[in-house]
Amino acid sequence: MGTINVSREYSVKEKMFLPAIIQGMIITLKRFIQGFIFHKKYTIMYPEERRNYSQRFRGMHFISVDENKVENCTACFLCETVCPAECIHIVAEERDSASNPYGVRKEKKPLSFDIEVLRCCFCGFCEEACPKDAIKLSRNYELSILSRQEGIYDLNHLKREVKGRG
Amino acid sequence: MSSYEISKSENYLNYCSDKIRPLPVTGPDAKPLPKMTLDGQVVEFVPGDTIMQVAERAKVASRIPRYCYHPGLSIAGTCRMCTVEVEKAPKLMTACSTPATDGMVVRTRSEKVLKSRSGVVDCLLASHPLDCPVCDKAGECELQDYDYEYGPSRSSFVDEKRVFPKSSTRKLSDKIVLNMNRCVACERCVRFTDEVTKTNDLVMLNRGWKKELTVGDEDKGLYNDYQGCLSDFCPVGALTWSDFRFQKRVWFLRGNASICDRCAKGCNIEVHSEKEIIYRFVPIYNPKVNAHWICDEGRLSYKMVTNSHRVIAPLLEVAGHGPTATSWETLIPVTASLLKNSSRALLVLGTDSTMEECENLRKFFSKFVQNGEIRYFNGTGITTSSENKALDHLLRQNDKTPNTKGVESLGLKPLDVAGVNGFDTVILFRSGRAGIPSVAAAKNLILWGVWSDEEVRAQKNVRALLPGLATQEKSGTFMNCDGILQSFKKAVEHRGYGLDVTRIIEKF
Amino acid sequence: MDIFTLAQLLAKIVFVFAVCLGVIPFLVWFERRGSAWIQGRVGPNRVGPFGLIQPFADVAKFFFKEFWTPAEANKWYYHLAPIFALVAPMAALTVIPFGSYLMIGDQIVNLQIANVNSGVLFILAFAGLEVYPIIVAGWASNNKYSILGALRGSSQIISYEISMGLALLSMLLVYGTFDLHSMVAWQGQKFFGFVPAWGVFINPIGALIFWISTFAETNRLPFDLPEGDSEIVAGYHLEYGAMKFALFFMAEYVAMIMASALLVTLFFGGYQLLPGVQAAVDAIVSMNGLSDAAAQNLKAVFQFGCLFLKVAFFMVVMIWVRWTFPRFRFDQVINLGWKMLFPLALANVVFMSVVVYLMS
Repeated sequence: MGTINVSREYSVKEKMFLPAIIQGMIITLKRFIQGFIFHKKYTIMYPEERRNYSQRFRGMHFISVDENKVENCTACFLCETVCPAECIHIVAEERDSASNPYGVRKEKKPLSFDIEVLRCCFCGFCEEACPKDAIKLSRNYELSILSRQEGIYDLNHLKREVKGRG
Repeated sequence: MSSYEISKSENYLNYCSDKIRPLPVTGPDAKPLPKMTLDGQVVEFVPGDTIMQVAERAKVASRIPRYCYHPGLSIAGTCRMCTVEVEKAPKLMTACSTPATDGMVVRTRSEKVLKSRSGVVDCLLASHPLDCPVCDKAGECELQDYDYEYGPSRSSFVDEKRVFPKSSTRKLSDKIVLNMNRCVACERCVRFTDEVTKTNDLVMLNRGWKKELTVGDEDKGLYNDYQGCLSDFCPVGALTWSDFRFQKRVWFLRGNASICDRCAKGCNIEVHSEKEIIYRFVPIYNPKVNAHWICDEGRLSYKMVTNSHRVIAPLLEVAGHGPTATSWETLIPVTASLLKNSSRALLVLGTDSTMEECENLRKFFSKFVQNGEIRYFNGTGITTSSENKALDHLLRQNDKTPNTKGVESLGLKPLDVAGVNGFDTVILFRSGRAGIPSVAAAKNLILWGVWSDEEVRAQKNVRALLPGLATQEKSGTFMNCDGILQSFKKAVEHRGYGLDVTRIIEKF
Repeated sequence: MDIFTLAQLLAKIVFVFAVCLGVIPFLVWFERRGSAWIQGRVGPNRVGPFGLIQPFADVAKFFFKEFWTPAEANKWYYHLAPIFALVAPMAALTVIPFGSYLMIGDQIVNLQIANVNSGVLFILAFAGLEVYPIIVAGWASNNKYSILGALRGSSQIISYEISMGLALLSMLLVYGTFDLHSMVAWQGQKFFGFVPAWGVFINPIGALIFWISTFAETNRLPFDLPEGDSEIVAGYHLEYGAMKFALFFMAEYVAMIMASALLVTLFFGGYQLLPGVQAAVDAIVSMNGLSDAAAQNLKAVFQFGCLFLKVAFFMVVMIWVRWTFPRFRFDQVINLGWKMLFPLALANVVFMSVVVYLMS
């Protein structure tokens, strides 16, 4: 039935096992000495040392703002549409025309813009879809939170004044 | 009486609404129909048809693009988008306004035609703003579609785009917002107010580069009762419906056919919803009832369904607290004993109940209650269907419930002047549209169907409330004011604890 | 019993248990740090110098964790098991001699908590008890993985106890006594004047069998089948948390100490001084001109030091073995126990009888 029998007879020397056991112990002893005396390690001492990630690393999202600290987002829902994890939730509203120096260019704005980071798969499609370069992915990967509720980032958390990639 | 089932139909396979041609005579002495060739396909047609109409009915492979042509309006021939190549004609002809003739050979997708259409789209986009992200029409926009299909990959224009400072965002009325920058000057809206509503409250000012849409009379503004249709047929996002403005992108919406139950006309609608939340009603074509249109009142009537004050959980009276939310398991035995112990019970059916509901409730009531009577009640200003009259020359009716005629056809009698006097238990069944009769005399009142919080609180002696489904949440049959039976299916799922009448009766 | 006897007994109990429990944090530290060195990692290095305080921080954490009991568990046995697990090896430690004797005034204080005539049988009895906490914990937790761990543990421990007993029996033949003190004294002799007469030189096969069996008895890798993290999650102590788990954890180390101490006592000369130490003791005595009593006391201290070193060596080897070898498959464990060690141990008993007969 398609099985391959790879069992083999052990020689008497192999059947003793003790030489192999001692061989193995010597290997670990060498490693022990390397670690104990010569401090050989592969660990990155995280808070003090950081791994160097690529420039194209996709981390936490942010929403870029213009010179007046007004978000560039116009609530076009394209990121919500393209999001494969369905983690973006937008509610749109009309920008108050009295305090709107932009006229038609920014007549629509997000009333709320929530990203459920716990659902997000960091594919970056939202960044690609955004016609206003409003939503972007930064290189920040330290996203630890204490409760599930904190995993929903709202507009105030997301707004950030950044030139280029953060 | 034949029943007409509401379903989504393609609404362009027809003639102008007020110019319905008689169908060709059939029989032994019928003359053979003329024939023409459309994209290599030989089709018959009725004399007088335009090329566009022939193509629509023959269902040629590709739809002829159009901006100014609308099957419900007269032919303008202004947009030049529908040009087709006619053999032996020196120039391209507009399909919408060229009458078909016997032996005509038409090509709708020849190279010449496509080049012409590309040029038309290029010119339309010359000063069309690139604001699709904020435009509510995006996703159902004909300009987007045709640009994608026919348009050039790059604009030939490098100049500044035209901007109308005043009309960039202008409220024509409470219901319609105009963005003149997006307008392609098809004038469908102007013809609509001219021919359909006959109010002439939209006009085009100036000519050429400065052509601008505005209201006919600045004092009156835009005042017709069918303004929503303007945003429906506007091929771009120039006229948008302020109730839907910025609410939802259209590609999220799911459209299901249903019926508008705001008046006795029973207009056919498509319920647009996402995650079972209704966002808007749009009309669908039914030549016998509403043609292409629907009134604003009906269009906004979805708010009753999504009303946050609507009671969607079973209520049971708790002494001192009034009606309080409970479960069906608790509610049903109490209601049953209330009905069984009543000496004389009355079932009042609102005229917004479907035929099926009336029949089921009648059976249930006669089986469950010994000494009972059934009445119907309209409560929107009229008592019987004979008092109904049209409010205008189009669709709007005096009777604000959808099924008065249907309930009457089942042989029920209206609630008379004596009201509920002499009955100790009264069941009021309605689906949110019928008025509420004065039932203060009733000792025990059981509410059934769609009720809002305020309506329940206005009643005294409410013992129980059995939440039901609104018209868009159930299937059934209505008979409209013209006696047309229309059956419809469930368009959205109910989002509460309400149940269909049959399910509630099963629980008893 | 006079006051002095009681006092010296209490002092010995406190001393042995204090040393025993006191080295556990350092063993845990070494286990974690050593494994890290072997694997090219760093290990705990944040709490205290070189992370030495880490085990104490862990204990603090264990104390403040929620005291949680599974709903379906048998409460009485569930709580009994971890206590039992710690007490059984501790009790066995009482008969291990950790030095010859002290002279306090004219009183002789034997450095052994309980001088039981049949010390070996006492140890065997308590070593046999070690299987019970595993069974009780596994069964009382009312968890499938736990009961699987308990089943594995019971069969494994019983299998290896036979080999262990036979290996011990072969040494009993040599020493001719059940008393551990006498055994250690016997090993104080010298062969050919310079080779210490340790059991391991007389009976190397028995020593090997006994040593392998101690691994199985203490559930250390490669015999940690009752725990088997990758197969049955954590085996018998899966449902234990907080300090109850810590008790099991400590019990494992106490059992290791006990097993190593027993191994040293039987085969490696017990508290007998390591070669060369005797000369150092003599040199100190002659330099300071100590009295006989003081010399004996000094010697006892050195004896304890030697025992400590020997035990520590075997503990380190146990840790070293753990981070070298993977876990056996269960059939391999049983095969090894019954098909290799058991016949070998039996043959060894016969062989040793012949040797003892010839020697006498």
